[in-house]
Amino acid sequence: MKLRRNKLLVEPPAGASSDIAFILIVFFLVCASVQPEQGRPQEIPKSEEEPDKKNQSQNPEVELTRTAVILNGDPVPNKTFAPRLASLLARKERQEDKVVVLKSRKDVPYERWINVTGLIEQAGGVVTLQLEEEQAHIVN
Amino acid sequence: MAMGDIAFLLLIFFVILARAQDDSHLRWEPAAEEELKQAKNYKASVVIDVDSKSYLNGRPIAQGQLAGALTDILGNAEQKKRTVLLKVHKDATAIHFEPVIEAVSKAGGEIHHVLEKQRK
Repeated sequence: MKLRRNKLLVEPPAGASSDIAFILIVFFLVCASVQPEQGRPQEIPKSEEEPDKKNQSQNPEVELTRTAVILNGDPVPNKTFAPRLASLLARKERQEDKVVVLKSRKDVPYERWINVTGLIEQAGGVVTLQLEEEQAHIVN
Repeated sequence: MAMGDIAFLLLIFFVILARAQDDSHLRWEPAAEEELKQAKNYKASVVIDVDSKSYLNGRPIAQGQLAGALTDILGNAEQKKRTVLLKVHKDATAIHFEPVIEAVSKAGGEIHHVLEKQRK
């Protein structure tokens, strides 16, 4: 059985060309402006003017250099760092005891810092920074 | 036809306005990480470029002024909407990026490190 087809207007009206152009511009702008902003959120406790030194002395301390990770004064190989820290933190019940004090040497690159802080967070720790000035302050 | 022209001019105006806060002209290479999450509702972006210079929303800023400037931008926004994107060149050293992290923390911002997927 043959169907009858109505003859339709194939060409769009010329007046709509500016609308089509406008929509095309918007489409390309949206495509161009989408920048991937992927990464890792990090919770860093808000810094206090005078850190509680009593509490800090009970928290695990990680010293980070270009080549080594030092946990509470002991150099630890990269592979065993996360499990050792996790077992240390597992004994602590309060959230504030899970704060890990991170002291980085001045020359530590960002990529290494990101990897180590990632391991600390995987182990259940919350990173807090001890900057060079504060380290000097505590020594004095 | 005039309506189309007006719309087009408005569009250009907003594009230029948006470019003022853009930081795509800055040179930096992201560090790599295995698992990544998409940033949501970010209020500001801080870049440390290949020359270890700091920029806030694409404009150069001294590290000492960063905490104050971020406090102004973040205002009284609720906790979930205080995200600050941190785009740090992978080879930048702690002496440059740690004070920036400290400044974001001081301003009450939620840090989101912008990274790239680690290739296996």
